[in-house]
Amino acid sequence: MRVSGTQAPDHKDDAALIDRMRAGDQSAMADLYDRYSGVVYGVALRVLANTTAAEDVVQEVFLQLWRNPGAFDAGRGRLAPWLAVIARNRAIDHLRKRAPEEDIDELPISTGVDMEDEAARKLAVEKVRGVLTQLPQDQRKVLEMAFFEGMTHSEIAGKTGEPLGTVKTRIRTGLLALRKAFA
Amino acid sequence: MNGHPQYAEALALYALGALDNPRELAELETHLGTCGECRRELEALRADTALLALSAVGPKPPDRARQRLLSAIAAEPRVPKKAPQPYTVGRLRSRWFSFAPVAVMLMLAVFSILLGFQVSTANREAKAARAEVERMRAELARNNRELAQNKAIADLMHAPDAWHVDLVAQHTRPQPQIKTIYSKQQGSLMLTATSLAPLPENKVYELWLLPSDGSAPMPAGWFKPDNNGNGWMYHAMQSAGINAKGFAVTIENAGGSQTPTPPIMFAPAPTG
Repeated sequence: MRVSGTQAPDHKDDAALIDRMRAGDQSAMADLYDRYSGVVYGVALRVLANTTAAEDVVQEVFLQLWRNPGAFDAGRGRLAPWLAVIARNRAIDHLRKRAPEEDIDELPISTGVDMEDEAARKLAVEKVRGVLTQLPQDQRKVLEMAFFEGMTHSEIAGKTGEPLGTVKTRIRTGLLALRKAFA
Repeated sequence: MNGHPQYAEALALYALGALDNPRELAELETHLGTCGECRRELEALRADTALLALSAVGPKPPDRARQRLLSAIAAEPRVPKKAPQPYTVGRLRSRWFSFAPVAVMLMLAVFSILLGFQVSTANREAKAARAEVERMRAELARNNRELAQNKAIADLMHAPDAWHVDLVAQHTRPQPQIKTIYSKQQGSLMLTATSLAPLPENKVYELWLLPSDGSAPMPAGWFKPDNNGNGWMYHAMQSAGINAKGFAVTIENAGGSQTPTPPIMFAPAPTG
């Protein structure tokens, strides 16, 4: 597991692929798709629980990356986590029947987790799952309700019957537990 | 994050898009506008949410999804914007070598003219591109200056040692005053208050936007002045585009109200 500050060759590959995309190279898009479609599709499928809808999200995310590759700034983070969050946001839009954004978000997401390499990716995924398993069930549940179901703070409190303050604390503590595991 | 622990939990909700209390949201966004430390923490929390997303990574989409994407991309190829390249010379040269020398000379002459035209076009485009880059650079510099100035103003107003000095005509008492700035397009407003009367612990001043269509006053944020009677507030309305004919301020219970409680303490100054 490499951390922030280490220049992984594959990270450079991502930046090179994005540069080729900017130049209109369709094969670069195909390479990126082969590398990261599992990330985007997995997240979308988890949110939507519907393969057709998840495929639509995959199409939207990659097509918009093709149209606006400048939305991803390789200097401020890595592609896989960025795509994962974009996929989640798009899937939540579908879930909530909101009109999808015209363009992809330019969110800086600077996690140091190496995801470009297939083996490192599997390792990271296993590690995240391990951390989540170790969280108290109530805590994991509220995190997942917020992230994968797109529920708001008060909606979660209403559904779980927990006080707003408890929900808030559980969400932050859960996120920090993940951060600590990859520090 | 050590600097502003009062925002720590709201930031985590914000990173997930789960913060749904409008007042808390507006307050946090105002704070994020001036606090680099909290912006960095927000970025770190977004990275944490990305880790959460990884737990769902697994299956690959069916092959048809790949084909669908590549077909869509092929249908809208993006042509890179580049100046014409001199490589055309070599390509043309090999084609023309099979002609008779005279024809070659003639065609080379024509080609030279074309090439000259092409170079001239390329030069013009390059010059235009340079001008555009310069224009964007100047605009960026201007935006940065404005941003720095806005940040400096916000820092000044937030500074714990900020000393508000009101200068008034001699031998008169300072008058309580509230100033508001409202942007209909942005759907946001800012308020500064000076020399306001102190309030009991459980009371606040609340601002009301008075819609020009005569509908009910809309809550536009509340604030509590400091011990010197000074305060400020930024508030984002629920939506942009609301036409306002004026503003008013009442005293409400802590936490604000949805309807104004008479009497009106402040109203727009008469004009003219």
